[in-house]
Amino acid sequence: MKVLIVGCGRVGSRLASELDEEGHEVTIVDRDPGSFSRAASREALSQDFKGNFLVGDGTEADLLRRAGIEEADSFVAVTEGDNRNIMAAQIAKQIYKVPRVVCRIYDPIREEAYRKLGLEVFCPTIEGSRRVRQMLMARK
Amino acid sequence: MYAIVIGGGKVGYFLSRDLLERGDEVTLVEKDGSRADWLEGQLGSIVMRGDGDEMAFLRSTGIERADAVLAVTGDDEDNLVALQLAKKEFNVPLTIARVNNPANVEIFKALGVDQAVSATEVLLSALEQTVTERE
Repeated sequence: MKVLIVGCGRVGSRLASELDEEGHEVTIVDRDPGSFSRAASREALSQDFKGNFLVGDGTEADLLRRAGIEEADSFVAVTEGDNRNIMAAQIAKQIYKVPRVVCRIYDPIREEAYRKLGLEVFCPTIEGSRRVRQMLMARK
Repeated sequence: MYAIVIGGGKVGYFLSRDLLERGDEVTLVEKDGSRADWLEGQLGSIVMRGDGDEMAFLRSTGIERADAVLAVTGDDEDNLVALQLAKKEFNVPLTIARVNNPANVEIFKALGVDQAVSATEVLLSALEQTVTERE
């Protein structure tokens, strides 16, 4: 599977590394050139990562084309900005018809709005709070 | 007409001023507090402090009865989300975006924004027109 990941933060870099180890073809994009070396230095990206890095804005169609969006099977938007993720994911889904698109949205209200509009969304705020509640309520 | 302008930079300021002069009802949304204070000094109490992509805040602007929302911040992704929420969540009849990247004119239309205007595109076509006329 060809995967394009926008955002080389903690989630993006770890996901890139895991998918790469499983044999998938990974390209990871971040607008901050330092993000890749930071990910490597905290060992989120392994030494033998075989995927591609590209510096640029993941909401720009030109850059996404250069990153191979037209051939991608999957697209993941995990930058720090909800609106950037929403825009990048919609470009991937609606303009380039990428078969599988996943988008992170921290704001639960926007998460609901865009889920209703058909985006495949995950919200760390909702998931995190649910998980903590489960842990608190679990009987020892 | 009731128009909501999102983004109180230069474009948002002049746009709101001209809409007011035409006699339209305007709310100007600006998230930066000190910029909002300055805008209020110039334009009066039409300014609201908040984020154009926060749904609860948008509701407080009376967006449900707005005839048009114009998103003119310097960030294309913020303009897109504000206008999609205006359209899909609040059924605003007319949504207009300023886009900074000219490639986003077509993308915004494909993603449901009614009109998208790129200053770069307008300048380029003015240049091309002048050059063609001289030839």
